[in-house]
Amino acid sequence: MPESELWITRIFNDYLAGLGNSALRLAGVPPQPRPWADFVVMQIVVVLLLMLVFAILRRRLSADRPGGLQHTFEMVYEFVLGQANDLVGHDGSRFVPYFGTIFIFILTCNLIGLIPAFASPTGNPSVTCGCAIATFLYYNLMGVQAHGFKYILHFMGPKWWLAILMFPIEIVSHLARPLSLTIRLYANMFAGEQVTMVFLRMTYFLVPVVFMGLHVFVGVVQAYIFMLLTMSYVGGSVAHEH
Amino acid sequence: MTKKLFLMLALMMLASTVLCAQTPGGAVAAPFFSNGVAMAIASGLCGLAQGKAIASAVEGMARNPGAAGAIQLAMLIGLAFIESLALYTLLIVFRS
Repeated sequence: MPESELWITRIFNDYLAGLGNSALRLAGVPPQPRPWADFVVMQIVVVLLLMLVFAILRRRLSADRPGGLQHTFEMVYEFVLGQANDLVGHDGSRFVPYFGTIFIFILTCNLIGLIPAFASPTGNPSVTCGCAIATFLYYNLMGVQAHGFKYILHFMGPKWWLAILMFPIEIVSHLARPLSLTIRLYANMFAGEQVTMVFLRMTYFLVPVVFMGLHVFVGVVQAYIFMLLTMSYVGGSVAHEH
Repeated sequence: MTKKLFLMLALMMLASTVLCAQTPGGAVAAPFFSNGVAMAIASGLCGLAQGKAIASAVEGMARNPGAAGAIQLAMLIGLAFIESLALYTLLIVFRS
């Protein structure tokens, strides 16, 4: 049974199949009849939507008469900056671009699934895994940038003779971080969808709306938690003990 | 109280082993049963943990009404983390 597609995915597959297959060929995957998947197309839609919103925002930035959009994004920026300063330290503002991007991207991905003809890209484990791997690479790179090659000492523990024991434990616990980030976000979005579907099957009218409202709340909270954990990991890796 | 709980849990698991042994070809109902038990345990423990978190948060807010905003934020974050643990089990249920 062919899987159902969104209308945008159908448009992409009908007209841009060649482009999709060239992209797959770069990754070594053999060409397929309908290469675009729902979550890939939805991510592209989210990125284009965010770029459009920020382009409009930029056009309307003004110091004298700020509009509603500017107020909203100033609020978001202050929120992210405040959290970064709390969790990372006084130079947290250096990392705010990444934190803000991951927060707004995951928030939009979570919420876009509630619009009838769209699907949440974060309802697919590949997308959340991508965000988690990006975060993993980011905090390790920031650690190396802050400490140089002495970053490896972070994994050795407090005393030099504990290093043999601490190193595998620290490696495993660091690898568990992207795993937990992936599964947490994926499970929350997937469960929200499934619970709505279950109640839609049982009561055909109005009751699923309650679960969709809960899904909005859960989407916001999970995006915030992803950003919070990212900040906590970056804070841990750039921390200067001395 | 705890000893009785664990005794009951052990008896239940023993009973389920015996029940499963009685139907050699009856693998049809097995996934539903195991999924149900797994989800029940996960949701039950999640409920207990969230109850504890909310209880201490509400007590903190009662003692220090000025910090209610910060406490509420911390409570919501804590609840989301605990909820995620129960959702890991739900993921297994829905994916099998």
